[in-house]
Amino acid sequence: MRIWTALLCLLAAAPALGASAPPASRSAIQPTSPSEFSVAVQPFLRRHCLGCHNARLKNGGLDFGAYPDAVAALTARPAFERVLDKLKAGEMPPPPIPHPDPKQTAAFTAWFEREFAAMDRRTPVDPGRVTARRLNRAEYDNTIRDLLGADFQMSVNFPADDSGYGFDNNGDVLSLSPVLLEKYLNAAERLSRYVVLSGPPPKATAERYKRERLEHATPREIQFRHVFKYEGEYELRLGLGGSLPVKEGNPESLTICLEMDGRMVSPFTVPTAPDTRRTFSARIPVGLGSHTLRAHFVDPAYQPRTRPGDAERPLLLDHLEIVGPFFRDGKVPVSEAQQRLFVCDQQSAACGRRIVAEFARRAWRRPVSPAEVERLASLIARAQKDGGTFEQGLRLAMQAVLVSPHFLFRIEREPRQRGAVHALSDFELASRLSYFLWSSMPDERLFQLARANTLHQPAILRSEVERMLASPKSVALVDNFAGQWLQLRNLDSAKPDPDRFPDFDEPLRQAMRTETRMFFDAILRENRSLNDFLEARFTFLNARLAKHYGIPGVEGEPFRRVHLETGARGGLLGQAAILTVSSYPTRTSPVIRGKWILENVLGTPPPPPPADVPALDEQGVGTAQSLRKRLEAHRANPVCASCHSRMDPLGFSLENYDAIGRWRMADGKFPIDPSGVLPSGRKFAGPAELRQVLASNPEALARCLAEKLLVYATGRGLEPADRRIVKEIVSATAARQYRFRELIQQVVASPAFLLRRAERSAEWSPTAP
Amino acid sequence: MVPNGPLIHTGKRLSRRTLLRGLGAAIALPALDSMMPAFAAPRASRAPMRLAFVYVPNGIMMPDWTPASDGPLDALLPRTLEPLGQLRQQVTVITGLTQNGGRALGDGAGDHARAAASYLTGVHPRKTAGADIHNGISADQVAALEIGKATRFASLELACEDGRLVGNCDSGYSCAYSNSISWRSDTTPNPPEVNPRVLFERLFGESEPGLRREWRRSVLDLVADDTRNLQQSLGPADRRKLDEYLTGVREIEARIQAAEKQAAQPRILPEFELPEGVPVEFAEHVHLMFDLMTVAFRADLTRIATFMMCREGSNRTYRELGISDPHHGITHHQNDPDLIAKVARINRYHVELFAQFLAQLANTPDGEGSLLDHSAIVYGSGLSDGNRHLHHDLPILLAGRANGVIQPGRHIRYAKNTPMANLFLSLFDPLGVRASSIGDSTGKLDYLVDLG
Repeated sequence: MRIWTALLCLLAAAPALGASAPPASRSAIQPTSPSEFSVAVQPFLRRHCLGCHNARLKNGGLDFGAYPDAVAALTARPAFERVLDKLKAGEMPPPPIPHPDPKQTAAFTAWFEREFAAMDRRTPVDPGRVTARRLNRAEYDNTIRDLLGADFQMSVNFPADDSGYGFDNNGDVLSLSPVLLEKYLNAAERLSRYVVLSGPPPKATAERYKRERLEHATPREIQFRHVFKYEGEYELRLGLGGSLPVKEGNPESLTICLEMDGRMVSPFTVPTAPDTRRTFSARIPVGLGSHTLRAHFVDPAYQPRTRPGDAERPLLLDHLEIVGPFFRDGKVPVSEAQQRLFVCDQQSAACGRRIVAEFARRAWRRPVSPAEVERLASLIARAQKDGGTFEQGLRLAMQAVLVSPHFLFRIEREPRQRGAVHALSDFELASRLSYFLWSSMPDERLFQLARANTLHQPAILRSEVERMLASPKSVALVDNFAGQWLQLRNLDSAKPDPDRFPDFDEPLRQAMRTETRMFFDAILRENRSLNDFLEARFTFLNARLAKHYGIPGVEGEPFRRVHLETGARGGLLGQAAILTVSSYPTRTSPVIRGKWILENVLGTPPPPPPADVPALDEQGVGTAQSLRKRLEAHRANPVCASCHSRMDPLGFSLENYDAIGRWRMADGKFPIDPSGVLPSGRKFAGPAELRQVLASNPEALARCLAEKLLVYATGRGLEPADRRIVKEIVSATAARQYRFRELIQQVVASPAFLLRRAERSAEWSPTAP
Repeated sequence: MVPNGPLIHTGKRLSRRTLLRGLGAAIALPALDSMMPAFAAPRASRAPMRLAFVYVPNGIMMPDWTPASDGPLDALLPRTLEPLGQLRQQVTVITGLTQNGGRALGDGAGDHARAAASYLTGVHPRKTAGADIHNGISADQVAALEIGKATRFASLELACEDGRLVGNCDSGYSCAYSNSISWRSDTTPNPPEVNPRVLFERLFGESEPGLRREWRRSVLDLVADDTRNLQQSLGPADRRKLDEYLTGVREIEARIQAAEKQAAQPRILPEFELPEGVPVEFAEHVHLMFDLMTVAFRADLTRIATFMMCREGSNRTYRELGISDPHHGITHHQNDPDLIAKVARINRYHVELFAQFLAQLANTPDGEGSLLDHSAIVYGSGLSDGNRHLHHDLPILLAGRANGVIQPGRHIRYAKNTPMANLFLSLFDPLGVRASSIGDSTGKLDYLVDLG
């Protein structure tokens, strides 16, 4: 009997929807056909389920003997929702127990679905509770960018934000430590100085960035961000080191490209011979704020390598020096940020109030009261009374705005009564929208609609979502949503073993990331079907990545859209970025890849291994061949089988890709065997058939994505009550061919996004000392 | 990564070692000594005691760690502890401590998250991926609350690996649990600083030059008032978020106050060549963080620090040791001798890095003695056997004499399941912290302070 204990951990496999719902009160449940229960449900449970899920074994925490009547069963709705999922997926009962007659299964599920629908008709939907969300690092930077009109990337100094439920914008998890508040205060001081100038123009200084001290720098490419504290002209001085021996085959000169924010500043033609000029400079106007500088050798064939101890160094990038600012007429030019802030230009109390009022309104993303303006403006008077200048006072008021909880948090009005539900105000809605789609503050148009109190009207809301998605700012969905959904951010820290994968270098890492980003972006912008995530016949490649994939005919560094001719690639699961983040540094892991698919495509994450079973050890297994044998042995143990029978076949079908996503037919001297059987009995082999298997059930991906988008959009984990909301989102999206933008529209239109519920007392357990 | 407002522009590149030698000179002693009385008035005759916790992840290969016999430490140390050879009279190896809060206690998988979360709190963290995070206040913060006001920074939290990995951190536990060992309160982890340059600027940089402290305070007063007004209209969870905010405001105000007291004190700005961002080499990164900790202790900028060499569950690879496998992965070695050897090698490497820090403390004069004499530096992990996720018999090393209270050079074995929290209580005493319990503590450790 012990065997079955863990088999049924399948049932404990809590999907994203947790199981800790407060049980609906019994009296509220009125089954529409209670008599059917004893016909379609009870005998089914007794015959097919009770053998393991009984009072004694309680496998998966379930005892089906505890539901003597319809009311009892419906009271435990979350548990039975999961039962239905398992039955539909063919995962229960597990082999070798024979599956029930499909007619019986259909009658069983139909009864529950009818009753659940009836329950939903009677009870109002619960939009869930959202905790005030602190701006995370990306949101802080974007908000400052859109508020001031200059990008400063102050958050490089902030501690990393913790994530919950897979995303780093979770209200409960985003805490505010004293250290972080101190950093907010310092950031506000700096920002106020950058925007409100006083005193004579500054003298030029030089700052040098040496390659050997920069992250991710190579002898042929350096890249970093620099904060330009003044609008003005700057001289960029590029210093080189080393030289090439004068010999046949070596070019006489090489070209280096210097770029700022992705735009060419200047190409430099550099003689390779020794004793020639090694410093090159360009003087350019630069806007206030943080900019990315990049210098690299243009010729992709030029790959200087340095080894410690080498007497001679090849020609390489040594440093980049930034000298400035210089001003044409001796005055600091007016920056965009100053123009925005100074809505009037007298140093009067009245003007001070206007500046502060306008700044606070935008920074706090809502109308400000005269009393609030008065308090902020009093800081200007305070500074002046102490002998300070108007500008110094204005800086203080700016600082107060930027460290206020009204700026740092997204706070929504709480309904007056416990558990009560109300619609968000249009200003609150504007912020929910802008932080969901842009990871930033609302723009003036959203503010206007909020002032007019029309933003919530469905037609307007729908067209605003379209407008926002069309804006370049929606790249935030790629950075922050896709970056976390697909675990793309982990690519930064991926460290494939250089001995096994000497091809892996920075340009390849960049190319991998760019492909998946552009791919996600294309599906979003072209409003394609969600299934294209799995089976699109196109992708984006440059020469480097095309070579990595063995796809001919793609030249040059820029990326282009490429139609995929063969079945070897297609969709996310053939992309090197995904295949790399789901591998070990030294080799592939079918288990990790299978788990990745369950979590991120099918939305049915496996539960952690049971406590008394050590995590499957894949280490020390030489090849995929031997790993397959070991995993098969592992699955012979039913404790492990319950989950590995789902994970492993998915992962093995991707074995044709190595740990950095290259195509292979053999692992060492063993041929790859990419075949597998799913618990439902479906057989398949290789990535192309895996794509078919996954794409044949578009609802699964739609539901998985709907859940993830909802978590991301609301900043809270999902509750059992959300199943209903997710279901509605998915069926409305299905009605529009599973278009990606339609899914986003449906998330926005859902009660979880538009409504707010006050806390119930039960949710609030005071933290006892 | 380019921090704003660079402070340091030394033309030539100095080696780290020169730097450190330079440090002694740069932190002019007269300046320091002149501020001692102001800070340590009640115990002016003694140097203040410093407390630090250095954390390593994924447990330790215990057979190579635990000395064979109890009592005085032999010259022949277990292999992992060998790098401490020269310092063996300065360290105490402690065996037998348990962090019961790290055990499953019905919560299933997630031992790594619990190991880090319980390590300094002695509390069983609530299992949640986000909603209602709940742990306990950590030992360093109990101390910081009481004695932190004496120094410019109540405490420092450092790490060499930031928590920006995506996905589940550990089996249904929010990443907050495995990324921080320092908890300001039951609900607020202190996220550690990873970037040595940012840390340096925090320690030695200054806010807006000439910004008057009273102005800064009026900004804080204003926002604090607003916050309290706002709180009245919020639900309990939102109120709690703003409580965190107000705690931060109070802490900064206290620091402004402390700064006013020492207004006459000359500014300390050691010559310190720092990389633009996080050093690429792990060892270099660890050294820099230890250096900054040394400087902060030496200059009495703080007396309390925590340092996570890696986050719990870390999958760092150690190519510098010829180990390309991820650390956490190979701790589940299933008795494969090759993997065991690799894990032990990583354990030893961490101890090597730590030993250099201790040597530095031992060589830094501090009052009548060395910095190490006036410190208690606890080194350890929240797991013992990483393969089996055991939370008892934790590998714990206590370095320093805690102002003469501890007599090091010994291996002490406590009864099985002695709470780790008892060690914290024992260390509070010489620190001047009066807390009578923390987490699951049952009393102070015997023998530790026994000068016999």
